[in-house]
Amino acid sequence: MNNETILQVQGLMTEFRTERGIVNAVNDVSFSLERGKTLGIVGESGSGKSVTNLSILKLIQYPPGRITAGQVIFKGENMFEWSEEEIRTVRGKHISMIFQDPLTSLNPVIKVWYQIAEALRLHHGMSKKEAKAKSIELLKLIGIPDAEQRADNYPHQFSGGMRQRVMIAMALSCDPEILIADEPTTALDVTIQAQILELIKNLSREKSTSVIMITHDLGVVADMCDSVCVMYAGRIVERAAIDDLFYAPQHPYTRGLLDSIPRIDRAGGSRLHTISGAPPNLIDIPPGCPFQPRCEKAMNICSKQSPPEFIINGDASRTAACWLHAKEYNNG
Amino acid sequence: MGRYVVRRLLSLIPVLFGVSLIVFFLVRLIPGTALEMYLGTQVEATPEQMEELKRIFGEDKPVPILYLEWLGDILRGDFGYSLRTGRMVLPDILSRLPLSLELTLFSLILALLIGIPLGIASSLRQNSFGDFVSRIGGLLGLSLPQFWLAALMVMVFSRFRGWIPMGNYVSFFDSPLQNIKMLFFPSLAIGIGFAAVVMRYTRNSMLEVLQMDYIRTAKAKGLKKPSVIYFHALKNAILPVITVTGFNAGYLLGGAIVIEEVFALPGMGRLALYAIYQRDYPIIQAVVMVIATLFVVVNLITDLVYALADPRIRLDDVVR
Amino acid sequence: MTVPRLFKNGIAVTGLVIIVLYVLIIIVSFFWLPFDPSEMNSQRLLEAPSFTSGHLFGTDEFGRDILSRIMKGTTVSLVISIAATALGASFGILMGIWAGYLGGRWDNGIMRIADVLFSFPSLLLAIFVMAILGENTYNVIIAIGIVYIPQFARISRGSIIALKSNEFVRAARSNGAGRTYILFRHLLPNSMAPIIVQISLSLSVAILLESALSFLGLGVQPPEPSWGNMLSSARKVMMLAPWTAIYPGLAIVTLVLGFNLLGDGLRDILDPRLRNVR
Repeated sequence: MNNETILQVQGLMTEFRTERGIVNAVNDVSFSLERGKTLGIVGESGSGKSVTNLSILKLIQYPPGRITAGQVIFKGENMFEWSEEEIRTVRGKHISMIFQDPLTSLNPVIKVWYQIAEALRLHHGMSKKEAKAKSIELLKLIGIPDAEQRADNYPHQFSGGMRQRVMIAMALSCDPEILIADEPTTALDVTIQAQILELIKNLSREKSTSVIMITHDLGVVADMCDSVCVMYAGRIVERAAIDDLFYAPQHPYTRGLLDSIPRIDRAGGSRLHTISGAPPNLIDIPPGCPFQPRCEKAMNICSKQSPPEFIINGDASRTAACWLHAKEYNNG
Repeated sequence: MGRYVVRRLLSLIPVLFGVSLIVFFLVRLIPGTALEMYLGTQVEATPEQMEELKRIFGEDKPVPILYLEWLGDILRGDFGYSLRTGRMVLPDILSRLPLSLELTLFSLILALLIGIPLGIASSLRQNSFGDFVSRIGGLLGLSLPQFWLAALMVMVFSRFRGWIPMGNYVSFFDSPLQNIKMLFFPSLAIGIGFAAVVMRYTRNSMLEVLQMDYIRTAKAKGLKKPSVIYFHALKNAILPVITVTGFNAGYLLGGAIVIEEVFALPGMGRLALYAIYQRDYPIIQAVVMVIATLFVVVNLITDLVYALADPRIRLDDVVR
Repeated sequence: MTVPRLFKNGIAVTGLVIIVLYVLIIIVSFFWLPFDPSEMNSQRLLEAPSFTSGHLFGTDEFGRDILSRIMKGTTVSLVISIAATALGASFGILMGIWAGYLGGRWDNGIMRIADVLFSFPSLLLAIFVMAILGENTYNVIIAIGIVYIPQFARISRGSIIALKSNEFVRAARSNGAGRTYILFRHLLPNSMAPIIVQISLSLSVAILLESALSFLGLGVQPPEPSWGNMLSSARKVMMLAPWTAIYPGLAIVTLVLGFNLLGDGLRDILDPRLRNVR
């Protein structure tokens, strides 16, 4: 069972056609997810991390969005070769998602229990009654007090944290193999964030669900993930096991991210680091490394040619897309 | 919910009070008194008869008192007497009300049946050729005068025997088929412009709703396309359509007046026109009062339907 | 992708072209008409449209040339439409900004009056006012104007209230600007978008209302030609001579469509968020 790859994304490219040109939101992204493990995808807003994950379930709206290349291999089969109908049967049943803002992600005019029950009725063929009972059970499981009464409420009658709990109940209702959590705590109060993360962690561990945790918050990554991919401008710039990332970051961008976290153990000393500049415009990406204009260690080659992912220390799951790791440049 | 209904009902009182003020005092602006008009059609009256008539026409008292008396009368359902026929106004109104109501209701149903599906279809194929055609069609629908459309229908379909049955109004409860046959084209003439309004609203509202996060959630659940569109999206997209329906119900009620005239249907509208041509002010006052009340009530009903359709309204009610 | 683009830009332009065309017709009609629109001709009653006779749209039941009457009627329709909209808009906007800006008791009082006027279906209110005032062209303008007052009042009040709490108003006030100054220099210019859209809408509805009133015999009185009263008299003869009903109707539809196209285009251009106004 260990180290069994459940989902593999290969060479994914997603673009959006806008009035000002084509936005290459996801540019040749590959990663794999192991059963029961949690993979973090970290990046600034606009780095393509959400689009990557919406692409997995083909939830990109066309137009303007379009997946132009790549494959998503789920349990040995390339989902991109399936029909829309076949992909639909995977959504919510085998792979489900939690979104950032629980207020806008729940339907305002449909009762909470019904929204949870929908997937159960569809994927498990439950009757309305069974599905309602199961929904109430799920609401109890995720810690909603008075679940029987609250089940008949509408989303606006819940607090933000409670709404996100409902989203979680909804996503986990059919015991999916994979849970994709897209910034699940960003819209919540700090005190609630920890509770929600704890809930996701416990439930996924119990059912050995694999999780893809999308976030811009390295604290969440440290808390939840087994391994991490760092995304920048639609690409993965570094991938590592969790400890390696924090203790030995290999890409200048990752290093910058880590240095910009306030840390108690350094409180008195150094000033907080910032990465100067802004992420690049994804419409006409200049040749070379997308991070080069903001990089403190930029070299000549960086503005000419985009770096491939270099394998670090011979471990295929440990890479950095930076010329510093090419043999001919890595002496400095 | 109960409290909401009561509160809305109470809010009608000042509005209807205002309506009654306008209806009463605007008619008072007309030069010449009702009595003079009445006398214009009659033989000379003796001084004794004059006194008696003045009392009947209420010209022996100051205007505010007259208003209060009039208001009291209509609250008891007494709309006075026709200046021309001397008959009571209320029975005439009551006998013509069902037709006008039915006409308005049918045209509303037709408008929704045409407008909502077209609006949905148009939104699902945004910017396609079909969408383009229905947008132009929508604008064209808004531009058609109801009475002209009605006249064209009469012109075309009366060439085919039985398409537009002539003769007396047949109640729906006596002969549903004959009744529907009779009212189909008139309702269509009233409803087409409104269908265009409904279509445009439905389309825009669907386009907005389809962009919402909860639609993505519904898709991510693996729901089939029909249940995403007709349940998750439509349940939200229909809300502004409900509001606009209430707001524009006056268009249908007003339309009925003209269309009854074209199709020679004996409804409230024809009664009103006849009264206007004859300067029969008690009837005009009564018809205007009744139609305005209907419009206000229709708006109340739409608000209630909205509150039923949007759970967020009820909470506001509890909080306040 | 190109079709909707063209459509979006083209829509307002198409509307404008139609309106300009009608304005040209008005100008031409002052100097030249194919026939005298009021000249009756008992030899040529209800003649079908034809090139040879010169009656391109045929003749009516008095033998008058329909095309000439439509051209003459264009002035009537447009003048009524513009005057009624101007009347309704100026009173309505004044009431609306007064209510919205002063708030409190003023707001309450003015808006209750608007509410009451709103309780009458437009056409019914217009008919009622015509019945009181008597049937002539000026009263048509007043009647339609009255119908419009509450609509403009509500819209302008809404945008004033939305703007009143904005930062730039507070900034102006803290700089010592007076009430009237703030109202006319800051609030009014910034609340124009929805009002402009409402104006183009009102212009089109006014044409429909005028024609309906005239059709019922309550509007423009014969022999002065208006599209509505042409249709009214066509009713008696349209089974024999369909052209008497078809062409005046087409004239109405085209001009109203022109205003609607313009309004729709303006809505897209001025403020995409206003797409739901109607």
